[in-house]
Amino acid sequence: MKYGMVVDLDRCQGCRACMEACKVENNTAQGHFWMYVFRYEEGSFPETQINFLPRPCQHCDNAPCVKVCPVGARFSREDGVVLTDADRCIGCRYCELACPYGVNYFNWRKPEKGQYEIVDWSDPDLEPVTGGAIPPYRNPDLDGLHGEEQRRTGGGSQAKGVMEKCTFCVQRIEKGLQPACVTTCPTDALVFGDKTDASTPVGRYLAEKRTWRLLEEAGTEPSVFYVGSRPPTHRSKEIERPKASV
Amino acid sequence: MATQTERHSTLPQRVGQMNGAWRLFVIGALAVLGFGIYSFWQEATQGMVVTGMRDVGTMGGATWGLYITMVVYFIGVSFAGITVAALIRIFNLDHLKPIARTAELLTVVSLILGGLAIIVDLGNPMRGVVNLFKYARPQSPFFGTFSLVVAGYLFSSLVYLYLGGRRDAARLAKSPSRLQWFHRLWAAGYADTPEERDRHDRASFWLAIAIVPLLVVAHSTLGFVFGLQVGRPGWYGTLQAPAFVALAGVSGIGHILILAAIVRKVTATPHRIGEAIFAWLGKFLLGMLLVYLYFMVVELLTLVYATPETEKRLSDALLTGEFAWIYWGSVAALVISAVVLIWQAVVRRWSVTWLVAVGVLANLAAIGKRYLIVVPSQTHGTLLPYDTGSYSPSVVEFGVIAGLFALGALLIGLFFKAFPALPIEDESEEVIANA
Repeated sequence: MKYGMVVDLDRCQGCRACMEACKVENNTAQGHFWMYVFRYEEGSFPETQINFLPRPCQHCDNAPCVKVCPVGARFSREDGVVLTDADRCIGCRYCELACPYGVNYFNWRKPEKGQYEIVDWSDPDLEPVTGGAIPPYRNPDLDGLHGEEQRRTGGGSQAKGVMEKCTFCVQRIEKGLQPACVTTCPTDALVFGDKTDASTPVGRYLAEKRTWRLLEEAGTEPSVFYVGSRPPTHRSKEIERPKASV
Repeated sequence: MATQTERHSTLPQRVGQMNGAWRLFVIGALAVLGFGIYSFWQEATQGMVVTGMRDVGTMGGATWGLYITMVVYFIGVSFAGITVAALIRIFNLDHLKPIARTAELLTVVSLILGGLAIIVDLGNPMRGVVNLFKYARPQSPFFGTFSLVVAGYLFSSLVYLYLGGRRDAARLAKSPSRLQWFHRLWAAGYADTPEERDRHDRASFWLAIAIVPLLVVAHSTLGFVFGLQVGRPGWYGTLQAPAFVALAGVSGIGHILILAAIVRKVTATPHRIGEAIFAWLGKFLLGMLLVYLYFMVVELLTLVYATPETEKRLSDALLTGEFAWIYWGSVAALVISAVVLIWQAVVRRWSVTWLVAVGVLANLAAIGKRYLIVVPSQTHGTLLPYDTGSYSPSVVEFGVIAGLFALGALLIGLFFKAFPALPIEDESEEVIANA
């Protein structure tokens, strides 16, 4: 069994609900986008085209980040999920540079400082709503140990100075649920499941449709397959530049 | 008081003597080191958010910056010291012996600085010190940069330095001084009998033979850190490892030239560190410089003649864009260094002043070139449609690096206050040289 994801670009409308769902599920820090949707433009008037491209971690079968990790904190599981052990990572950030997709996010500061400050939680009017529990709320599933290896690999904002990235929502798939981005997608553009089994939705996509993968030439063997549209080129220009940083 | 002065005057090469200039040097170095420690404290408590580094990709930053540049630079500097020391031993280049200990010390100190520069770059420094050994993975090129360098290279260099100094230590341990305990500790029962001398000689010879391949491997893996990565434009290439070794030689010999000139002045030994030694170092530097310039031209030609589209944005930024001043500045410094050295070789007159100037130029160029390997590939020419990023080091990063330089100067200064920089001269030296 190997997990894989299919991204149907003919269905994607670039709404970025998946990005939001990921942040809520995984409690990632400000400026971190484990799931990111490129919105980019190609060509010039009148032949211009706007494309969308969701970019989760590609969970490569030949992951360059796993190869370079000096302490084995970044590892591939039997089921194809590539994870980071937050208890072992030393924060050298080599994985981030080895990855050609730019999916890694480092905890540059203490996790509690990376939380979104949307409301003033000390406001007494909020007391009846929060019941006195002061956020950041932590999803208890994120703090546990996961997989056969029993390593701390779930969720974001684990600790200052460690690397984090998309986990395919390891805490959800172990319960038989789909990743948060997949369940949230309003157009069913994201499909998740066993890529080796032709009877699953992912397997059917792979068998019936023409798929391509990002930066195939890098030899990373990604587990994320795209359907429709075509890969971005060096002429693809993002229509807005992300300003979120720390 | 009189006996005190008498006691100190027994140690050669101003060992153990403190004067005003020395105190000023120590106070200055401690002040800069203190600022470095304060800077690192900020980083350790608040997180690396106080540096100028940020994530590549959506955050538009560079995740490796000045620290890794200096890691590569410091470890590069270490190359020449032990190489020169090993060459002296293997080929019996006795006329170079006066600078052997200086060269060995330079290797040890710059390796310590390189290791520390890795530690300050880690998000979890304490965990790093443990895990880099506990869970070491030789499959990662980073293994060579830290575990191999610190465990193998630094350790064998320390042993080499120790063995080489043991005879002088035994001699100094006989003269009473405040540092006698230190010299006794170093000598550790060594009595300089012919058998002991013979055994030391053989041990250091085989150690020198073993160190040479070890250091080529260590410096090549440093090149592999970048050269094996397809994910970044401008990194993947077979030339990275040998070019790293060549530039390491350039910066390291440049440093030995500077240090030899300082040692010669401070210990007042121009008769022993003579023009012949500088001439030899100058020729060695010229050789390494020409090899590196050759690599650079080959690289440049490849880059401009047939640039893949993905690499074009990077090469534009390097040659005509944002980084052009560093690129062409470094190239100019290297070419000027080569021209000065060739001119001195042609007229067969080696001026110490010019050689020190060349040493400084070559090292500035080395830092510039290391920076250009590390940073632009992260901010320019990413393979997915991310926008161009930017990076500029913060005050904290400059502070930490200045602190490391101060620590290095302090270590070298303190060592030469406690131990003679040059082998002690006496009649028995002739016996060994002729043996």
